[in-house]
Amino acid sequence: MKTPYEILEVAEHASDNEIKQAYLQKVKLNPPDCDHEKFQQIYSAYETVKNKPSREKYALFNFPEADFDALLEQAFSTAQTSSISADHFDQLLRASIGDKTFLIGGSKKQAHE
Amino acid sequence: MNEIIIGIDLGTTNSEVAIVENGQVLVIADNNKKILPSFVGIDDQGDILVGESARNQYLVYPERTVKSIKRLMGQDIQVNLAGHTYAPQEISAIILKRLKAIAEQHVRHPVNKAVITVPAYFSDAQRQATREAGKIAGLEVVRMINEPTAAALAYGGSQLEQKRMLVYDLGGGTFDVSVVNIEAGVVEVLSSHGDNHLGGDDFDQQIIEYILDHLQETQGVDARRHSKALARITRAAEHAKLVLSDEPYARIEEEYLLEHEGAAIHLSLELSRIDYEAMIEDSINATIDAVHIAMKGAKLTPADIDEIVLVGGSTRTPCIRERLFNEFGFEPHSEVDPDLCVAMGAAIQAAMIGGQEVSAVLVDVTPYTYGTSAIGYLNSDYYPFTYVPIIHKNTALPNRKTEAFVTNHDGQEVVNVTIYQGEDPDALNNIKIGEFLVEGLQNVEAGNVVTLTLSLDLNGMLHVSAQEKATGLEKSITIKNVIPRFEKDTLDTARHRINKLFRQNDALRAVVKNEAPEIVEARKLSAKAEALFDKVSNEDKEDMIELMENINSCIESGSNERVQEYTVKLADIIYYLES
Repeated sequence: MKTPYEILEVAEHASDNEIKQAYLQKVKLNPPDCDHEKFQQIYSAYETVKNKPSREKYALFNFPEADFDALLEQAFSTAQTSSISADHFDQLLRASIGDKTFLIGGSKKQAHE
Repeated sequence: MNEIIIGIDLGTTNSEVAIVENGQVLVIADNNKKILPSFVGIDDQGDILVGESARNQYLVYPERTVKSIKRLMGQDIQVNLAGHTYAPQEISAIILKRLKAIAEQHVRHPVNKAVITVPAYFSDAQRQATREAGKIAGLEVVRMINEPTAAALAYGGSQLEQKRMLVYDLGGGTFDVSVVNIEAGVVEVLSSHGDNHLGGDDFDQQIIEYILDHLQETQGVDARRHSKALARITRAAEHAKLVLSDEPYARIEEEYLLEHEGAAIHLSLELSRIDYEAMIEDSINATIDAVHIAMKGAKLTPADIDEIVLVGGSTRTPCIRERLFNEFGFEPHSEVDPDLCVAMGAAIQAAMIGGQEVSAVLVDVTPYTYGTSAIGYLNSDYYPFTYVPIIHKNTALPNRKTEAFVTNHDGQEVVNVTIYQGEDPDALNNIKIGEFLVEGLQNVEAGNVVTLTLSLDLNGMLHVSAQEKATGLEKSITIKNVIPRFEKDTLDTARHRINKLFRQNDALRAVVKNEAPEIVEARKLSAKAEALFDKVSNEDKEDMIELMENINSCIESGSNERVQEYTVKLADIIYYLES
């Protein structure tokens, strides 16, 4: 199964504009009229990674780097009180996948561009 | 040579046909007129009239004339035309047949294929009906494209620079707004919204009501019951609307409108642009709201828009320009004739399909969300009709999505699948567009997986299938069962019916050839008189119509002498009018 980046033939750290240009190029070569499936594949790849929020969502739900059992263990062992808040778990989850999201969601450098 | 595909704008008020010829887009003129009024009528001899001549006779014979048929497309309705009833598809087919003939006359070659434009906000049923109209007219509709998208193609298809456009399309009966991105040779619709029952006809109606109220108040007459007077009021209202696009006031004058208790009723009043704009304010507000929805759908702000393109005759209303200027801070464009750019875009798309040029690629979206209902929770309460959206609005076409559902109880052998169009979390608040049963499921515990696939084709039409995952048992439909529709044999019958109407014309022409010279002369003059209808006063027009009627009845009864008598009178009027 190809990743959206592979379908669009762009690097995972490509900017929004690079991704968009790659998408438009692909659409020109594969117009909706010709090969419906090919077009839809390109279109959904683009929709999946076209901007930062969508790339983060994709990183979160398609690369489940997080080991939820381990996270839970960790949550239980580090929790100061007996109850674990959703916020607490959320923090742990973010911490455990942070690197990956950071990488795919676009580097800090690009955010400043 | 590639097969010719024509581009057709089948409008509520006006229709046009265009082609790409030697790389140029050409709207084909018929008798020097590029615009064919979307009127269909039957004349005294049972002869079919399309366009200008039908519009002219609307004043005198409203019962034999049909206008604005597009507003009824997709509805299970019959319209009356000279004592016969027709489906909206059949009336539209008559207009299409005329456009087809205009194109054939120009290219001197039979034409069998067309791209027809439809409002972006046309529903599935309305699109289906349009395609059927094409079939009845003997045209294979190779593609239906959305009107604002066609306009964007006409405006920017060959542009190289990146540009974001807002297309504001207000026609006679429908309103669409689309946000379009043109970049790197791709014309990409980002979002689309609209109202398929809002247009210039509604503005006319406001003025008509105003006139009717005026007559009721000042003369105590209810003109609603007089079909001829009403037809004249309709025409006067339309005229006043056009005048108000350029002038601050319009006078509405109709002498001898009707007789009431032995006295002649004359209509005379003034309408100011300010009052008119107040009448249509709600409609204009609705269009501006739709603009906001489309902008939100494209996730853009007014500052992101480079250009506004106005499409449709109703955009000549000055307050629309003002409102758009206030929203966006710059003037809208209308360099390409707002009446012609849709047909031009249709021709460009037709040329692309025909393989003539590939300078731009078109990506369009669906303005609707489609989904189904399932047992679930609504506002955290158990609810059996929770809406499950499957294809979201503003998704690019074509699109195919599959969702999995599970049976609810043990031994469930039947699943009732209902398809809705809309966004409300409560399925019952959305528009139900079709339903079907998947029967003969395995006798197993609850949790049997059934997948539902929705696929939208390039024409914006929906196909649905459901499958029991374990066995592959499948059931599929194309959504078209909302209205009792034309099956193949009824389509054929309709085609024969419409062809017969046209053949009567041909037969008549054949007869004309063997007619006595005085009759030929009378017919020529009648045609000449008809051509003058638009330029003369109503009084002169009625005189001419009366003479023409007399001529016709005399021809029928074979009294050629009296034909000559009336012909002389008619010739006098024409001479007087032309001098």
